[in-house]
Amino acid sequence: MKRELSLYLGGLILLTLLFLLSLRIGVLHLQTPLFDILFHKSEGVDATTVWDIRLPRALGAIIFGAALGFAGVIAQGIFRNPLAEPTLIGLSSGAVLGTIAVISSGAAAYGSRTNVLAAVLFAALTALLVQTLAPNKGFGFLLTGIAISSILTSIAGLVITSSPKPSIQSLSFWNFGSLSLLSADTLRATAPILEVGIITAFFVARKLDIYSLGDASSHYLGVNPKRIRLWAILALAFLIGASVSAVGSIAFIGLLIPHIVRTLIGPAHRRLLSISGLVGAIVLLGADLVARTAFQPHEIPLGLITSLIGAPVLIILLRRNRAQWISHD
Amino acid sequence: MIDIQHVTFSRGTNVILDEFSAQVRNGEAVLLTGNNGAGKSTLISLIGGFLTPDSGTIEIIGNDISKLKAKDQAQLRSIAPQRRTFTLAYTVVQVLNLVPKKRRSLRTHTIIEELGLVDLLEKKVTELSIGQQQRASLAIALIQEADFYLLDEPFAGQDSASQIRIMNLINEIKQEKGVLVVSHNSDNAHSVFDREIVLN
Repeated sequence: MKRELSLYLGGLILLTLLFLLSLRIGVLHLQTPLFDILFHKSEGVDATTVWDIRLPRALGAIIFGAALGFAGVIAQGIFRNPLAEPTLIGLSSGAVLGTIAVISSGAAAYGSRTNVLAAVLFAALTALLVQTLAPNKGFGFLLTGIAISSILTSIAGLVITSSPKPSIQSLSFWNFGSLSLLSADTLRATAPILEVGIITAFFVARKLDIYSLGDASSHYLGVNPKRIRLWAILALAFLIGASVSAVGSIAFIGLLIPHIVRTLIGPAHRRLLSISGLVGAIVLLGADLVARTAFQPHEIPLGLITSLIGAPVLIILLRRNRAQWISHD
Repeated sequence: MIDIQHVTFSRGTNVILDEFSAQVRNGEAVLLTGNNGAGKSTLISLIGGFLTPDSGTIEIIGNDISKLKAKDQAQLRSIAPQRRTFTLAYTVVQVLNLVPKKRRSLRTHTIIEELGLVDLLEKKVTELSIGQQQRASLAIALIQEADFYLLDEPFAGQDSASQIRIMNLINEIKQEKGVLVVSHNSDNAHSVFDREIVLN
């Protein structure tokens, strides 16, 4: 309990500091003190930069980072696979395809509600497809996810190449992820969808502890495993669809954060979910700060940083947790 | 009463249960025996509602279990499966708390004590021996308040002292409830059981 509380407190302080730092630094050096811009009426380039560019971006990093943390916990829990992560199992690629399909067809613009919903729908369909095609719940499931993911990414590449719309962005934008397009409008379009995903995730998390004992045990203890899988896939689709449609597919956050948090507070899913959300927000905000300031004035794709840190940690985790590879049920 | 009427269940072309009927009444402990593959565990899964019979009905206190939600089934019966997979590093106390508070038996404390789990409560369930894990698994089922208890191989992997304590628990439970136990090595357990059902 004490450890949990100090994690929450420390996390919130760190998040606040990173948040202020994100508003403060960037290509444009603020001439006005940040405090004045935030709390007194001020106009001019500084105010516009902070209010219209940096604030939506920092808020976006927080909410999408949290969403990725939540999604990682739900995905690992529901697929009972420590390596199930939305980008590895194809959900993110599905969401990317959904997003660019509507943009290229002209049905909706980037950041619109239709765009978000298309991403949600495609993510959900991809999850069902991978689940149906996977021969087992261990390796087979992951490899099926990776295969489906490559197919969907290739199709996405074809759509982008043949699309006349310049606003569709490059494949690397969608595959690596970036917060550079975030605006207040995008946040307004995605936030309600994300909220549905978060509420569903918390509902699912209460049952994931019982569910972790296997389908039969779960049923015997009064939790219908099929129903909980359906809710979890919905939660994942909402979380991932909303995130990907706004910032592309950002790898490894959803994979690593639940693992790290689990070593700190144990596997109980409700606590794991809330703290993973907090840590996800901190990590994405921090990573974005590095992405846009490390090589000023150039911006590094965000997913590049999360992959550079995340992939080696994944290898370490794999080597340490070999036992967990055994599929069960 | 658990009332099994003309239940048939097959996997592919393999008929596991054929027109099987049996009853377990309140206040009795019934031993279920039979060769490997005779369908003992399958029968437990069917009564538990996890599997559905191809034909025939299973009722618990007059409720057709195939028509009940998992949540409502859990009020009628509690099940200790033959094996439970503990893959996440919960503590034993966390695992026992998986049974919702309002559905926990009044005997919870005694059960934990009798199964020798008191000193293990703060240990990680993934770090226990197989025998200890089995007892934790059995405890989950026994502390869940229900009208009938179905225990699949509760004595497996236990030393004789633990086996005796488990038998005592079964004896206590059957005073108010019905118990169905699947067991291979039941030679020294016959005194607890009121009758035996043999599956072929």
